[in-house]
Amino acid sequence: MPRLPLGDWVDSGVDWLVAHMSWLFDAIKTVVEGMYDGVNAVLTAPEPLLLAGILAVLAWWLRGLVAGVLAFAGFLLIDSLDLWDRSMSTLALVLVATVIALVISIPLGIWAARSKTVSAVVRPALDLLQTMPSMVLLIPAILFFGLGTSAGVIATLIFALAPGVRMTELGIRQVDAELVEAAEAFGTSPRDTLLRVQLPLALPTIMAGVNQVIMLGLSMVVIAGMVGTGGLGGAVNEAIGQLDIGFGFEAGVGIVVLAIYLDRMTGALGTQISPLGRRAAAKARTAESAKPWNYRPRPAFAVIGVVVLALVAGGLGVFGSASGTKATSATDVGKGKNITIGYIPWDEGIASTFLWKELLEERGYKVTTTQYAAGPLYTGVATGQVDFQTDAWLPTTHAEYWKKYGKQLEDLGSWYGSTSLELTVPSYVKDVNTLADLKTHASEFGGKITGIEPSAGMMGLLKTKVLKEYGLQGYDVVDGSTPAMLAELKRAYAKKQPIVVTLWSPHWAYSDYKLKKLSDPKGAWGKGDGVHTVSRKGFAADNPDVGKWLKDFRMTEAQLTGLEAQIQKSGKGQEQSAVRTWLKQHPGLVDRWAPVKQNQKSQAAG
Amino acid sequence: MSARLEAEHLYKVFGRRPDQAVERLRAGAGREELRADGTTAAVIDASFSVAPGQIFVVMGLSGSGKSTLLRMLNGLLEPTAGRVLFDGQDLTALTDRELRQVRAHKISMVFQHFALFPHRSVRENAAYGLEVQGVPRAEREARAGEALALCGLAGWEDSWPDELSGGMQQRVGLARALATDADLLLMDESFSALDPLIRRDMQDQLLELQKSLKKTIVFITHDLNEAMRLGDRIAVMRDGRIVQTGTAEDILLRPANDYVASFIQDVDRSRVLTASAVMDTGVDGHEADCDCETATPDTPFTDLCALSARLTHPVAVLDAADAVVGVVPQERLVAFLGGEAATGPEQVTARA
Repeated sequence: MPRLPLGDWVDSGVDWLVAHMSWLFDAIKTVVEGMYDGVNAVLTAPEPLLLAGILAVLAWWLRGLVAGVLAFAGFLLIDSLDLWDRSMSTLALVLVATVIALVISIPLGIWAARSKTVSAVVRPALDLLQTMPSMVLLIPAILFFGLGTSAGVIATLIFALAPGVRMTELGIRQVDAELVEAAEAFGTSPRDTLLRVQLPLALPTIMAGVNQVIMLGLSMVVIAGMVGTGGLGGAVNEAIGQLDIGFGFEAGVGIVVLAIYLDRMTGALGTQISPLGRRAAAKARTAESAKPWNYRPRPAFAVIGVVVLALVAGGLGVFGSASGTKATSATDVGKGKNITIGYIPWDEGIASTFLWKELLEERGYKVTTTQYAAGPLYTGVATGQVDFQTDAWLPTTHAEYWKKYGKQLEDLGSWYGSTSLELTVPSYVKDVNTLADLKTHASEFGGKITGIEPSAGMMGLLKTKVLKEYGLQGYDVVDGSTPAMLAELKRAYAKKQPIVVTLWSPHWAYSDYKLKKLSDPKGAWGKGDGVHTVSRKGFAADNPDVGKWLKDFRMTEAQLTGLEAQIQKSGKGQEQSAVRTWLKQHPGLVDRWAPVKQNQKSQAAG
Repeated sequence: MSARLEAEHLYKVFGRRPDQAVERLRAGAGREELRADGTTAAVIDASFSVAPGQIFVVMGLSGSGKSTLLRMLNGLLEPTAGRVLFDGQDLTALTDRELRQVRAHKISMVFQHFALFPHRSVRENAAYGLEVQGVPRAEREARAGEALALCGLAGWEDSWPDELSGGMQQRVGLARALATDADLLLMDESFSALDPLIRRDMQDQLLELQKSLKKTIVFITHDLNEAMRLGDRIAVMRDGRIVQTGTAEDILLRPANDYVASFIQDVDRSRVLTASAVMDTGVDGHEADCDCETATPDTPFTDLCALSARLTHPVAVLDAADAVVGVVPQERLVAFLGGEAATGPEQVTARA
């Protein structure tokens, strides 16, 4: 069988699209981001309590008093978890993705219902979109749209498109053929048949599709979080990346509250806007007794309530946003210039990223930090979406990325070195001190080495080189993820079970647990990497000050582990204040790492 | 009287290369031969004409092509060959838009399963055709109300279809068809889904309405009793072809072939036949001399039996001018009930 170069075709197709269709993608991006910004601005303008009130009134109108109270409680919970802004950004993302999905899928569904050919073409395309693993589509989405909202929206949208089309088609096809014939027999035009008979009768099914679109969209936001859409998805990603179970659960609860709210509301909306559903609801209501909790505001009353609350909310939002003062000082080198730093949720990455966030803000820059997986992060820097990242392990571990994106990147030098890769066991495991010792202790470890992401550079090195060098082929390398590996290590450590894991230095695990690096006398792991700062092409030229600071940046092991420990101690979400505390304990570092010119300094002093 | 509706050699073939199939049918190929090639001849060479104000019934079992035939009459299905003339206008030559105009204004339809729009009230359903015509709301609601009243549904305007019984739903269907003032009413097994008592009521009501409205109606049914009751003229279809067209009496007394003959075995003759079919036309002239009751040629068979039971001599049948056109002796009534009449009145006359 000859090898079909399907992947090459896709590669060159994507390259061609990036090269020639960028105007189209830019246009789409502008529209999507504009929509997102608009919706997000509306959602975040009012005080959380007021917006929660508005959403609760909607629930009251659509489903009754109990639903209204529960909705209010749910949103209060979100606010009390300090997840309000993230939730609203997720809500905005889902709403935008849903609206676009419906604008595409309903007409497509109608078309498919009317033409067998269209249906036959659309169906496999939908299957492809829906079942293709989302990461496979996410990376091209980054190439086309860059990191951030639009890639997230597009990925969500693609995934959520299918139920909209399917349910619309199904709904229309389900309409009794005799009814359609009756409409035709009375001379109804095809357009009116659609509007007067087919769509009204298909509406409950279509609304079920809308509901599915929203729910699938919501389930995609976590994945979309990987490309820097932020929101609850971003929160979940960060939490997973840092093995922060508590924070992950909180963010998860936020998603659940949104999901339940959106699900119930769209379900109820379906009954409200379809004539048949309205009748059934009215019938059911007359059957109920007139208890106060069965009372529902009339639509007009509900609309007035929402408008009044919204006006109040809008007013407060205006006053709220007017506050805020701008401090200017002589150390203000950046003058509010925006800088974007991306980071992989590895400890040295988090530490150095928030260190630089603090340093640059100190110097008057506006800094945005976003967490990514390694692949999207390199793509982001290469395409200029991200200004720089501080966690490039070169030349060995990230060799693949460098090969692919090196031409579009600028290496600002190593700030920490050298690192090492190793297999590690807890120190309570006796008699195993070198890699060679593993050979005779295979049964003790169940013949398993707990690994990390199979895509990671060190996993390749381990499988192809290290195991062979020491004759450890009897071991099974378990692919997984960094958090899973760390969780497994934590579990085994607590029970004092033998375990061998892939680990690297620097890593906080060495300060948290008593671990033993297995020595590598044959040098199979190769020489250590340096941790490099890598920027987009031209960043240093655009920002000569920052460029120079980054090039001169060095950290000692004591500094790095000290900062990491401080961050670990302060907990999730407190990274920057941990950095601040740490910098206070180590005076002089700010001026050493981000020196300001002498004459400016004297001005500041004077 | 010129025909309101004429079907000329209508063919409808489903499947591949329908035109070729029509050629083969014209050359004498049978339905089975075509089916082997994957084409289905639903209607084969159907021709008939319907006079204004007439109820024309198309009778056949399921699969005989009667529903397909009906749908060609208002263009819901395009004939593969042949023409449909409505008031002399060839419907098959019209564009889709013109055809929709004809359907909106001149031809309306009543369906087997009522086909009421469940998301519209009874009034809105009845007004649907007028809505399509573009009649303003106030007027169309008034006219829909009239049509509903005509069908015995006054007071139900604000109900919803699913709140009505089957019979009432079909009255709404009938009202919807009548509201548009269309000249031609196509009724597709309209009473078949109703239970027998309601069905009889509806048949009576249709006949009653027809007395005043004088619509031209094409009525599809698989029930021969219904066909005999309603039809001024009846076409019997079998396997896509019309095998006989005629009045109820023609079908009953002179079946065109064994198929029709086997069909009419179960028909209650006493409900169909009238004095004109039973009477002995070899008349002496003195049968009406006594002052006793007489019949007309249209007197139903059952009334004739009642009359005969009260008289000691044959019943005299008088025409409009009070001239005796025939007599009905009791033994003839008994003979007809026994199926002897299948041989036709000529032979009866000969035996008398």
